[in-house]
Amino acid sequence: MNVDKRKQLNGYHVVFLIQNIMIGTGMLSLPQDLSSMGYSLALYPLLFGVVASLNLWPMIWICSQYKNENIFGINEKLLGKWIGKSFNLFIVVHLTFFIAGIIDDYMNLIQTTALPEQSTTIPILFFLVVAIYIVNGGIKSIARFCMMAFFLTLPLLYFLRWAIEKGDLSHLLPLFNFNKSEAFEAFRKGYLSILGYELIMVYFPYIANQKKAYKHALIGVWISIILCFVVTTVSVMYYSEWQLEHVTYSVLHLFKAGELTYIERIDIIGITIWVFLVLTTITGYLWCAKKGIDSFRSKKKISHVYVITIAIYIILSMPFSKEVKEKIFEAAFQTSYLMLCWPIFLIVVHLLRKKQVQS
Amino acid sequence: MKFKKFIRAIKSGDTDKASPNTKQVTGAEIEETIELLKKNTTQINDVIFKKIPTNEGIVTMVYSNSLVEKMTMQVMVLIPLANHLNQIHQISEKIDPADKTEIISKLMGGQTLLYFHDANLLLSIDTYSASTRAITNTETESTVIGPQDAFTESLQVNISLVKRRIKNPMLKNENRIIGTESNTEISLLYVEDIVNKENLEILKKRLDKVNYPSFPDVSILKQLIEDNPLSPFPQYYMSVRPDSIVHYILDGRIVVLMDNSQAAIVCPTSFMDMFISVEDYYNRWTTATLLRMLRFFGFFLTIMITPMYVSALTFHPEILPYELLLNLQESRSKVPFPPLIEVLFIELIIEVLREAGSRMPAKVGQTIGIVGGIVIGTAAVEAGLISNILIVLVATSALLSFLPPIFLMSNTSRFVRYIFILSAGLFGLFGQMLALAWLLAHLLNLSSLGTPFMTPVIPRKAGDLLDGIIRFPTAFLKGRSGISRSQKK
Repeated sequence: MNVDKRKQLNGYHVVFLIQNIMIGTGMLSLPQDLSSMGYSLALYPLLFGVVASLNLWPMIWICSQYKNENIFGINEKLLGKWIGKSFNLFIVVHLTFFIAGIIDDYMNLIQTTALPEQSTTIPILFFLVVAIYIVNGGIKSIARFCMMAFFLTLPLLYFLRWAIEKGDLSHLLPLFNFNKSEAFEAFRKGYLSILGYELIMVYFPYIANQKKAYKHALIGVWISIILCFVVTTVSVMYYSEWQLEHVTYSVLHLFKAGELTYIERIDIIGITIWVFLVLTTITGYLWCAKKGIDSFRSKKKISHVYVITIAIYIILSMPFSKEVKEKIFEAAFQTSYLMLCWPIFLIVVHLLRKKQVQS
Repeated sequence: MKFKKFIRAIKSGDTDKASPNTKQVTGAEIEETIELLKKNTTQINDVIFKKIPTNEGIVTMVYSNSLVEKMTMQVMVLIPLANHLNQIHQISEKIDPADKTEIISKLMGGQTLLYFHDANLLLSIDTYSASTRAITNTETESTVIGPQDAFTESLQVNISLVKRRIKNPMLKNENRIIGTESNTEISLLYVEDIVNKENLEILKKRLDKVNYPSFPDVSILKQLIEDNPLSPFPQYYMSVRPDSIVHYILDGRIVVLMDNSQAAIVCPTSFMDMFISVEDYYNRWTTATLLRMLRFFGFFLTIMITPMYVSALTFHPEILPYELLLNLQESRSKVPFPPLIEVLFIELIIEVLREAGSRMPAKVGQTIGIVGGIVIGTAAVEAGLISNILIVLVATSALLSFLPPIFLMSNTSRFVRYIFILSAGLFGLFGQMLALAWLLAHLLNLSSLGTPFMTPVIPRKAGDLLDGIIRFPTAFLKGRSGISRSQKK
């Protein structure tokens, strides 16, 4: 039994939290996002891994300076109450739109493949109910769910078998056939699919062994990166360059390459099992948004989860046109870059105001 | 006379050193108590007041006829009274006539009260000997290999069945009374140097808090002390097999036995324990592993098969290969209902069959086979109410639901299946996966006595995996399981 009730996340919890929150719908469209790179995109996830590992370091460093505070608390301490609180509110709004964006993405996918004759209004409602149920169990419950989701969805890798058989290894060469602007374009579009590790700034105070947190986080990041790498490599082998650029959700179509005598359309099973991966991502972000409101209002309440979920539901059911929606969500996704750079800014403030804050 | 010495000894407080202020009891006081007893038991016709002349003068004897057998009465009380009065000394206990509630509860507990008029003395002798059932073999949890005896409804017999298997002074049984109206006796069994003290503490605290009038069976107590009473899943193991209970006691769990209840409950229990039969340890490890896999994956299959049918036919016919789809459509060609209604209809009929089968007297039980098999199975298909492929699926899932060794678990799978069928009817495979996500999240959040319910899936220690879905050869199974958090490893 843990003596301190807050220190409830063990090493493997951290690994799987990081790993599973990173994998959401982004992975399904990863090859398309990177398509400006041509066939060279196969190796690109490894670059992401390096960037993410470097990016993790300032996050963990700033959090380990304030062992019992999450990012929201640190904001308030370093930037003063009012600026901190208003920025926290901004983060919460950003997270809310971010979650809405992921759900919208996934639900569109479900609608096109699994439920072509239904509107998504009610499925979203049920989806959110399940998400609330998991979030109410706390961060440890989310971590356990992440572990379960990982092992449940891992067998999906098997379905890549046929794509590998039919693919062409020679697509992988030459390795570095791209220019700077292509690489930048791919980075801007593709890096969003491996977001999720920044949430460690919120659940850092709950980690039991904070000294090893960086190591555990790295393991998590690299498991995801390797999975992404496998997916991009197989896509490059299977598709032509034109297909890579124009086939949406190309990973789903990889499943379609499968030939079983008793099941056709493995992609439907694949995309419905994907709900586990999306749920882990959503619940992770939802929990963090809840923590944001907790710190904004300076009290813990379960109702905060409901407030966010209702907001998400309203955003999703607004009668905007598809273009407007896409623009909003795109903005929310791009704002995430601010979150990634935020700890560096905090470190600067921390170094400047160190004595003031500690006194 | 020895008896006179004994009386003197008792009166001077020789035998009752624990209470120093023993006051002299007068005859009138006892007389008054007996009168009160008489008044209080006018409508309790089995309480008998008898005056017997003995060498020591008149003795009034009070006892409850239905809780004391004639033979016991003869041997324990009547013969000693007539011949060997000093024997009474050895087996009796002096009671204070002022403590009236105690006297009444002793009488209701089957003890015999003796009032020696001349000596002004009130004694009680434990003569409780209500008739019990003999030890027979179990009908609900039978196994092919292994001991065949099962618990009975008598607490004493059950404790003896456990104690004859663990001859160890560290095995403790703490008895306590529970139930505000029924005053039922329960017993906590554990091995003191193995059990986790924290678990014991939590369990005792929960038992202290229980405020419930009566306990016809231990399963009621089980529901009151569970971590999450709203969950459809049982969180404690329940068994009537002494060998399986002994296995868990030695693993460091706490067992609760209750008087008048055949089953015992084991706290804490993990999800995996629900799929483990004690017979697995008697079988060879290969057989045991095969059976455990069947039970464990059978649980998930039984809640998934029929929902699969619903979602495949309602939402995703393209998931099936052409030939299979053709086959299915052909068998469904006469069926007028949508798949959801069809499945609910036949599942409910199976429920009815099962319920009727368990309520029906054994002699008319054969009828169920005929009605279920021929009338419903064949005729329903011929009448075009359901497709025959569905019959196969439903029958398979019904059989699979009986695989868990704990009946409560198979009941749970029956209930959970309906959630899956309905969600499959709503959103097809997506709904099913959402339901599975809910189920897994629920299971992950459950705890049993504060320990995670899904322990072997999220192992507390690596050794748990040796005795999980795969049962390793017996030589590997020396360690205790992680969930019991035992003192000894």
